Amino acid sequence: MRVLIVEDDPDLARQLKDALGDAGYAVDMAPDGEEGHFLGDTEPYDAVVLDLGLPVIDGISVLQKWRADGKTFPVLILTARDQWSEKVAGFDAGADDYLTKPFHTEELLARLRALVRRAAGHTTDTIDIGGLSVDNRSGRAFVDGASIKLTSHEFRLLSYMAMHVGKVISRTELVEHIYDQDFDRDSNTIEVFIGRLRRKIGVKRIETVRGLGYRLVDPETDVVKN
Amino acid sequence: MNVGANMREANPPEQGRSLVWRLVRSAAMWVVPALLFTALSLILFYRASIYKNFNDPLESTIQALVAKIETGPGGQGSEQGIMLADEPIDPRYQLALSGRYWLIGELQDDDTLSPILSSLSLYGATLSLSPRDAKKIRQHSGDVTRTFSVGPDREPLSLVAQVAIYNDQHLVIVAAADRRPAAQAVRQFSLIALGLLTVLAVGLTIAIYMQVRLGLSPLFALRDRVVDVREGRASAVEGRYPKEIKPLADELNSLIGHNRDVVEYARNHVSNLAHALKTPLAVLVNETDGKKTKLADLVARQAGIMSKQVDHHLRRARAAARGQVIGAKTSVDDTIKSLVRTLGRIYRDKDLDFQLDLQDGLMFRGEKRDLEEMAGNLLDNACKWTKARINVRAEITADNKIRITIDDDGPGMAPDQYENVLKRGTRLDETTPGTGFGLSIANDLAKAYKGSLVLDKSPMGGLRTVLVLPMVRG
Repeated sequence: MRVLIVEDDPDLARQLKDALGDAGYAVDMAPDGEEGHFLGDTEPYDAVVLDLGLPVIDGISVLQKWRADGKTFPVLILTARDQWSEKVAGFDAGADDYLTKPFHTEELLARLRALVRRAAGHTTDTIDIGGLSVDNRSGRAFVDGASIKLTSHEFRLLSYMAMHVGKVISRTELVEHIYDQDFDRDSNTIEVFIGRLRRKIGVKRIETVRGLGYRLVDPETDVVKN
Repeated sequence: MNVGANMREANPPEQGRSLVWRLVRSAAMWVVPALLFTALSLILFYRASIYKNFNDPLESTIQALVAKIETGPGGQGSEQGIMLADEPIDPRYQLALSGRYWLIGELQDDDTLSPILSSLSLYGATLSLSPRDAKKIRQHSGDVTRTFSVGPDREPLSLVAQVAIYNDQHLVIVAAADRRPAAQAVRQFSLIALGLLTVLAVGLTIAIYMQVRLGLSPLFALRDRVVDVREGRASAVEGRYPKEIKPLADELNSLIGHNRDVVEYARNHVSNLAHALKTPLAVLVNETDGKKTKLADLVARQAGIMSKQVDHHLRRARAAARGQVIGAKTSVDDTIKSLVRTLGRIYRDKDLDFQLDLQDGLMFRGEKRDLEEMAGNLLDNACKWTKARINVRAEITADNKIRITIDDDGPGMAPDQYENVLKRGTRLDETTPGTGFGLSIANDLAKAYKGSLVLDKSPMGGLRTVLVLPMVRG
């Protein structure tokens, strides 16, 4: 899962980056509305945390521009202003959730998780695929009830594939959603990660669709389907 | 900051006399004396003229008598040797007590008149003269003296007298007539003159009143436009005004604008301060989250206190700036619909069923953000507790106010909690955001607008909140 944080306060931005990074997200940062708008416009984020009081372009305008351009990623507004008039303005501009400062990191993470899974069409934080269980809340995965050890990149990959279970995901898409923009992207490393994941969760759970990409499946039902 | 409050309170205690009343009164103060003076002059002039006409025949009589006096022995009153060649022909001088008399006599030293000859009409009586008149006659012996007297029939007389000298004898020749017909004519004239002038006075006063109303009509129009602004029907004083009061209208508009700016400035200032403080507070809270050191504990606790302080003072400052923008109005329908849309997103996992029954065209006399704050908090509370259904009704009350009723089918609240819930958050130590806190915010705001918030049991099973607010009429 890749998230954009648009926040002008450097300390708060760093804390959010750390907290979201620890929670398994690939995080991009923008210190002002202009850069934030540009990143949101060009990168495929799974969610955006947007401060409203931003330099250059204010948060509401950035959000309106994204929605006008057809961007559908969920946006969580972060603001010091807690009046209903501001909430209404935020939601009318196209926000999906609203969190007022000061807030606890846990609250932000829970809201963000809810936004991401809702956008992918899931109702719970835990996704079960025939014995494989991905718990986005704790950032852990289980196979037949047994916890498996994953690095943060591996979990991010698994989490993204679990969110879009059954769907063919290209290598490029995987790169775009599990690395932040500063990461040295090499789609070959994806193959390495896929190989490691297969060893840990079972080879049959990740299919290779030649020329298109990969997909996470339930081996039991999938056999029947094919 | 208190422009609005002062304008409201200034009226009753020191209301001056009406401008129309002052102008009409000052006009009447010169119109009435002027007309009275005219009436008096007219009457006096007419009276003088009437009596002059009345006395002329008497003077002719005197002249006739003078011309016919003969001296010598014998004849009537021969003692003094005074007689008349023949008597004046007017038959009234022959008729007893006819009201027309003549007399020729001698003025005695004691100012009484001793008759020598007199008209038959006197019937043996004499004509009396006051000592003052006698003196006057003596002094102006060559001229005619005009005066009043009383006749033999006790009738008021107009009397003319002249002194004539015959053979060293000082004769006083007197002619008199009943003056009641003349007095009657004067009285009649006075009544007519006074009546007509009174009509004129009333007519003039009415004309002045109309003129004043007409002249002041732009001022009344200005007053009505100011009321429009105050009641939220207009945002500025509109219309064209004569050059004498145009500066006043312009000043009012700039005052209204200034008031808006001041309130906006105060509110933005507070809001900016809150924003400036809340981000660092968020940083502090986040930094201490999940850390178990003594320092983290201390910082977390202090940051929590600071956060409460900021919220408390922010609330107070907002309340102070509330209801002060002159001429603000807000559509109830639009505001509630946009809130319902927003709440639908916030509570999207809950699958809420809103039933809206909003009367068309309701206008809240106040600012949008305040209506949003009140209705938003009440609706949010309903969304929080409801199972699914929320009913919202907005209507006009009998005394021309807006009533917004919100019902939910949640668990409701014990009636003994109502008061407590509405008061929550008014004390600093209770300003912890949580359930019911929004209700007290809505309550404070409703009071700031001289409205009310009442909690009740809903027929749907949950809580009913009834918000009553001022309305823009017309």
